[in-house]
Amino acid sequence: MGYVAVKGGTLAIEESLKRLKYERLKKGVVVDCQRIESGMRCLIDQVMSESSLYNETLAALAIKQAEGSPEEAVFLMRAYRSTLPRNHYSRVVEPEDMMVERRISASFKDIPGGQILGAANDYTHRLLDFNLSEESDEEAINWVCDYVLEGGEGNDRTDLANLPKVVDYLRENGLMSVCDNDNHEPDDVTKESLQFPASRSERLQILTRGQTGAVTSLGYVALRSFGALHPTVGELRMGNLPLYVDNPFNEQNEKDDGYYIGEIKVTEVETLFPEDIQNINGEKEIEFKLGYGLCYGQNETKAIAMSILDHCLEVGESEHAINDEEFVLLHIDSVESPGFISHLKLPHYVTFQSKLDSVRQSKKEPALNQGKE
Amino acid sequence: MIRKQRTEILIKGSAEVSAKLAHEILQIYDVRTIEESKNSLVMVKVREGAQRSLFYLGEVLVTECKVMINGFLGIGMVKGHEPNLAYNLAIIDAAYNGDLPETKAWTKALLQEQFHINENYEALKKQVLKTKVNFNTMDVQ
Repeated sequence: MGYVAVKGGTLAIEESLKRLKYERLKKGVVVDCQRIESGMRCLIDQVMSESSLYNETLAALAIKQAEGSPEEAVFLMRAYRSTLPRNHYSRVVEPEDMMVERRISASFKDIPGGQILGAANDYTHRLLDFNLSEESDEEAINWVCDYVLEGGEGNDRTDLANLPKVVDYLRENGLMSVCDNDNHEPDDVTKESLQFPASRSERLQILTRGQTGAVTSLGYVALRSFGALHPTVGELRMGNLPLYVDNPFNEQNEKDDGYYIGEIKVTEVETLFPEDIQNINGEKEIEFKLGYGLCYGQNETKAIAMSILDHCLEVGESEHAINDEEFVLLHIDSVESPGFISHLKLPHYVTFQSKLDSVRQSKKEPALNQGKE
Repeated sequence: MIRKQRTEILIKGSAEVSAKLAHEILQIYDVRTIEESKNSLVMVKVREGAQRSLFYLGEVLVTECKVMINGFLGIGMVKGHEPNLAYNLAIIDAAYNGDLPETKAWTKALLQEQFHINENYEALKKQVLKTKVNFNTMDVQ
């Protein structure tokens, strides 16, 4: 298929952009970026995760410019990201070091450190709160002050920065295989085009930056293919991870010589997949495999879906499309999928005219043939 | 004080602390800016829990700055768009790298700030732990 450049439409485009600005401003009220950052935490987390760029302020600006469209906001963030140099790589971040604000297990009731609900929508009534339409800044400040002054009580000494992993219990009890650290340098899909078969690091990188809806839908497809032995969330954690960068002028890179640069909020999910196996005596046994999900921000559904897809792609060959990495990984990117779909609305005059000519020609030919007969 | 600890205190703590320490140096020494505060990216390398392998989680916007004092380079690096903080961090880093005498007196101020950070952490921890579930088995009729 060939492309032909055409000119024209400059004035129409300029007026179209004005029209777009008018739609954003016509009600005479400007949305403050700070208010977006304060009140749209979940949307900001979604945009940061899909754009693979962690910065709440930029995400808020992108959301404002995109008038709340996540796909457009992610496009803006990805475009901005491409203008910045990447000068450093972080030291390896170990999610065990998370300062946990929420941590639950659907597999075990009693877990060391306990089930900590943190901030979650899970137990809300999902009834519209009409009082919020009248909420003022003053009320918000008063509520926050009261909440902080309430403080905490009790002598719970749980160290939220050192909570043991639920899967460690299974590993210690021989119910899951133990594995050593694999320190191979990861591949980077932002540097090299994806080739199949993809490496594990490429798969996880594409899943974590995948479009929330697409990852969730495909995760649901996978979940429906399981029978009675369906997966269960072993542990879901949400909290902050500290980031350190090596001293670029010290090749020794001693542990204490690194620069702390701040922390990032993430959601981590480890999902357990029971599988029938045969032991050495030929008897049937159940063993657990692990699927892994990790996303920027509080993105719980996406992280769970990511962990399901991670396991499906790890298993690989199957009659289900969901185990095919090409099917999953090529269709979930937040810029590629909406970008290719939406490009269909852009001018295709030449290609369509060529198709039209073919149709006209094929309709003429039978008439000509009839005339000959 | 080691770099890892002091950068953690200066970033987690009040920005006034880094501003005060940097100002102290600026009063006495010639601070040459090698690279003004500007935005760049840090790619986050993370270990996953299923097979303990590494992958890239995504990038983080940071502000970076480089200064030189008496021939000693200092780097300031912080998450987000924080040009002033990055500049102050670079000055403090250069002061420590050059082992300037002023840094000897800073340990107390930094430890005091660490104390405030710990207090805030304890308060947050208590609030979070109020959401811990206390399971009671229901009576079976």
